[in-house]
Amino acid sequence: MRLDHEEAKRIAREQGRTLTGVLGRAGVSRTAYYSLRRRDNILPRTIRDLAAELGIEPERLLRKTPTPLTYERRLRRAREICDRFPGTDFHNVWHTLTLLDLPPVERLRRSLRRGRA
Amino acid sequence: MAAPELFTKREQDFLETLLDEGVEFMVVGLAAAALQGVPAVTQDIDLWFAHRGDKKMIEALRKVGVSYIPPSDQNPPLLAGEAADLFDIVVHMHGLGSFEDERAHAKIVEVGRIKLPVLPLERIVASKEATGRPKDLAILPVLKDALRVID
Repeated sequence: MRLDHEEAKRIAREQGRTLTGVLGRAGVSRTAYYSLRRRDNILPRTIRDLAAELGIEPERLLRKTPTPLTYERRLRRAREICDRFPGTDFHNVWHTLTLLDLPPVERLRRSLRRGRA
Repeated sequence: MAAPELFTKREQDFLETLLDEGVEFMVVGLAAAALQGVPAVTQDIDLWFAHRGDKKMIEALRKVGVSYIPPSDQNPPLLAGEAADLFDIVVHMHGLGSFEDERAHAKIVEVGRIKLPVLPLERIVASKEATGRPKDLAILPVLKDALRVID
């Protein structure tokens, strides 16, 4: 698994930023970034060794991008909660479940981004 | 893992310095709710300090170029400095116990590489109920619905 430099540049551009600017704000040095870019595999050895021991691809140990199945399960769970607690707003439940699938840093990022928009 | 783009380097240093220097505080309000999964919107991060304006706090703030401005007349206490632009000081948490009592039950939430003490959602609900302010009452249904999911 390699760092997708072109994708990083493209996303930065979409946001009206430069990759250099993003690196600076993220506190990531250019040296560290370009060192990572040169590597054939950016996964930590820990993950690769663990995966090898388990006899699986390392990607299986990483959080996946949501699939239609993810949304089906979330929908089912939201309906269960709304049925169990009459008067509960479906959208509040749905968005909470969505946020719970994200790390806390991302939850707060979304909250602040919308609050400061 | 760093927290790219959420905190600037200065803001990250601000939080880490408070923790490293043993300043007792926790994240409260809607930022605390958001960290726990509540779909709530906020403009800043409210911090509740055990000993607002004490020597340890002032010294930690000084290290990251932040000044503590004590309350005066009708002005609330403020943190002044680029590293603290995102943060507000909470003076009083309505409907809750002492800082020490609440801190004992705080959740530790990892925000990037920082481990922040955070007021649990059920206590956030209690404080919003107690204030009775329209803006707090307005968000209560969202907080309570989220609590049903998280419980």
